[in-house]
Amino acid sequence: MPNIVACFKWVIDEADLKVAAHSRELILDRVSYKISDYDRNALEEAVRLREQYGGQVTTVTVGPPGARQSLKDALSRGPDQGCLIADTAFVDLEPSQTAAILAAALRSRLEYDLIICGEGSSDLYAQQVGPRLAENLGLPVITYVNKIILEENLLIAERRLEDGIEVVSVPLPALVTVLPEINSPRIPGLKQVLAAAKKPVINLNQKDLGEDFSPLLQTLSIQAAPSERRRLRFGAEGADLKKVVDALIREGVVS
Amino acid sequence: MDFKLTEEQELIRASAREFALKYLEPIAAEIDEESRFPMEVMTKLAEMDWLGIPYPAEYGGAGADYLTFALVVEEISRSCASTGFTLSATTGLVMNPIYQFGTEEQKKQYITPIAKGEKIGAFALTEPGAGTDPGAATTTAVLEGDTYVINGTKTFISNGPIADVFVVIAVTDKSKGARGLSGFIVPKEAGGISVGKHFQKMGLRASQTSEIIFKDCRIPRQNLLGKEGQGFRIAMQSLDTGRIGIAAQAIGILQAALDESISYSKERVQFGKPISVNQAIQWMLVDMATDLAAARFLTYYAADCKDKGLPSSKEAAMAKLFASEAVSRHASKAVQIHGGIGYVKGTKVERLMRDAKITEIYEGTSEAQRMVIAGNILR
Ligand SMILES: Cc1cc2nc3c(=O)[nH]c(=O)nc-3n(C[C@H](O)[C@H](O)[C@H](O)COP(=O)(O)OP(=O)(O)OC[C@H]3O[C@@H](n4cnc5c(N)ncnc54)[C@H](O)[C@@H]3O)c2cc1C
Repeated sequence: MPNIVACFKWVIDEADLKVAAHSRELILDRVSYKISDYDRNALEEAVRLREQYGGQVTTVTVGPPGARQSLKDALSRGPDQGCLIADTAFVDLEPSQTAAILAAALRSRLEYDLIICGEGSSDLYAQQVGPRLAENLGLPVITYVNKIILEENLLIAERRLEDGIEVVSVPLPALVTVLPEINSPRIPGLKQVLAAAKKPVINLNQKDLGEDFSPLLQTLSIQAAPSERRRLRFGAEGADLKKVVDALIREGVVS
Repeated sequence: MDFKLTEEQELIRASAREFALKYLEPIAAEIDEESRFPMEVMTKLAEMDWLGIPYPAEYGGAGADYLTFALVVEEISRSCASTGFTLSATTGLVMNPIYQFGTEEQKKQYITPIAKGEKIGAFALTEPGAGTDPGAATTTAVLEGDTYVINGTKTFISNGPIADVFVVIAVTDKSKGARGLSGFIVPKEAGGISVGKHFQKMGLRASQTSEIIFKDCRIPRQNLLGKEGQGFRIAMQSLDTGRIGIAAQAIGILQAALDESISYSKERVQFGKPISVNQAIQWMLVDMATDLAAARFLTYYAADCKDKGLPSSKEAAMAKLFASEAVSRHASKAVQIHGGIGYVKGTKVERLMRDAKITEIYEGTSEAQRMVIAGNILR
């Protein structure tokens, strides 16, 4: 009966992002937040594995105190309990910090046989938290996972790589990072949403973990990449194809 | 004063949006064109616990509130107004009268299977000679021993051709007019029920609408809903509730009209610029967005009154009146913003304009809403 931990990041919904016309700075005053896309697959996979093999699912997130509003969302997706590691110091964390904080919490407060993370987050997509967390905890890590099977104390995973599918097995405990193709996350029903408020939550802050988590890297500024529509029009005849290709070459899209 | 939805309501709204995009948006145009009721969707709605949102779990409901119900109807209607209406009418007009007036046994027996998506319900009030004036009904229910015998024709019955169970309003005492009406729960298997004209409608085409003819339909005495003579009250209370759902349906359609109009006007280029840079277009969008906000607050307010046990009949009528007239007006503007392509089948706003119109007619016409509101403010 494995203890499964599913990690998620609470990110800005990119659909709400607006860019200031001249400075290209991001306008954040009306953004809403969501569970990072692939982390929804991580949560779903954890819950499916529990449905298949039994055990218990804990979902964990790290962030500023505002991340608290993510809990009901995450818990409505099926985990048994939540763990919120929140602190006013945990703003704009970079991956090494997030991994260190998660590792500290997991080491001291949570039981785990299997940790599941999304392959990358929908905001930064650095693909670092999973592998770094595994490293911090001294666990084997499998990335690009498309399918998971549990056998006794063994995890067998299919990795979808660019040039083929690799099947690997590791002893538990282990950490996997999953691709969106691994499952199609269920849409939480009304009763699941109402039940989420009644599930237990472990609350931790920086002091509880007794460590400082200083960044290795600092983000100095973020600007949106400029994207300008050329509003070119092409016909649908065979001869028009050359015009399309010429235009792509001219714009430097292909060479 | 608090204009904020709860976290739960926000999450349920998000679920409804996701559900609508995944299961309804891809089929809405097709089921409209084919005039097909999407039976497969009913099972899914039940799995999401959306059939019977405000009713307790012991009857198969979700134990939530009317505001949550309105949010789900709104988001569903944004993708498919027919499905939004089915959800609304099933809750407001079928489950609600049984929940409000039914015995413990009736609630267990009839609400639960509808909540599970196993049975389809319908509400049969309107008759060829009794629309806005339900007191003119001529369908009769005559008690013979322990059996009521129902005779008469109901018309424009949503879900008529596919329903397993009907809530029927019929005359038990002709001499008393509206006070001589009573409500009944009539299962299809009672017999003596046939489908008359099956209407081909201009909009809301994935919802099935027909005449229902009762000919010596015999039901046991226990199927009386409430007491004899309560039929008018049952109908009015159900419509009061149903109107919150229709207002929500209207704002869902209006939101869709606005979404389509904004994205099209930013894409469509004339005179070398997107048409959205023209003030003439902007003002149409602005009026749409502003009326949408107003309609939404009226609707949520009506639902909130109902949830708090406050009087909500006038509030629901106002919400339904305002939202339905707003969506009719603006769906037509959405077609205007799309120009020629807006008039072509397969363009979403074309369907929205046809679907919008019904919200001004059923569950009481706009004129009927004004009568309800006038009755309240002149009291
Ligand atoms: C798609 C669809 C689905 C429906 N579903 C159902 C259902 O499930 N169950 C059900 O029982 N019914 C249903 N109806 C019927 C619907 O509720 C009626 O059509 C509606 O109440 C109007 O009645 P009517 O059509 O007889 O119009 P009428 O009452 O004849 O009205 C005609 C016009 O006169 C106006 N008018 C009438 N009386 C007055 C007055 N005193 N003062 C001012 N103006 C007045 C009306 O507002 C309207 O403009 C449905 C109708 C449609 C089209």
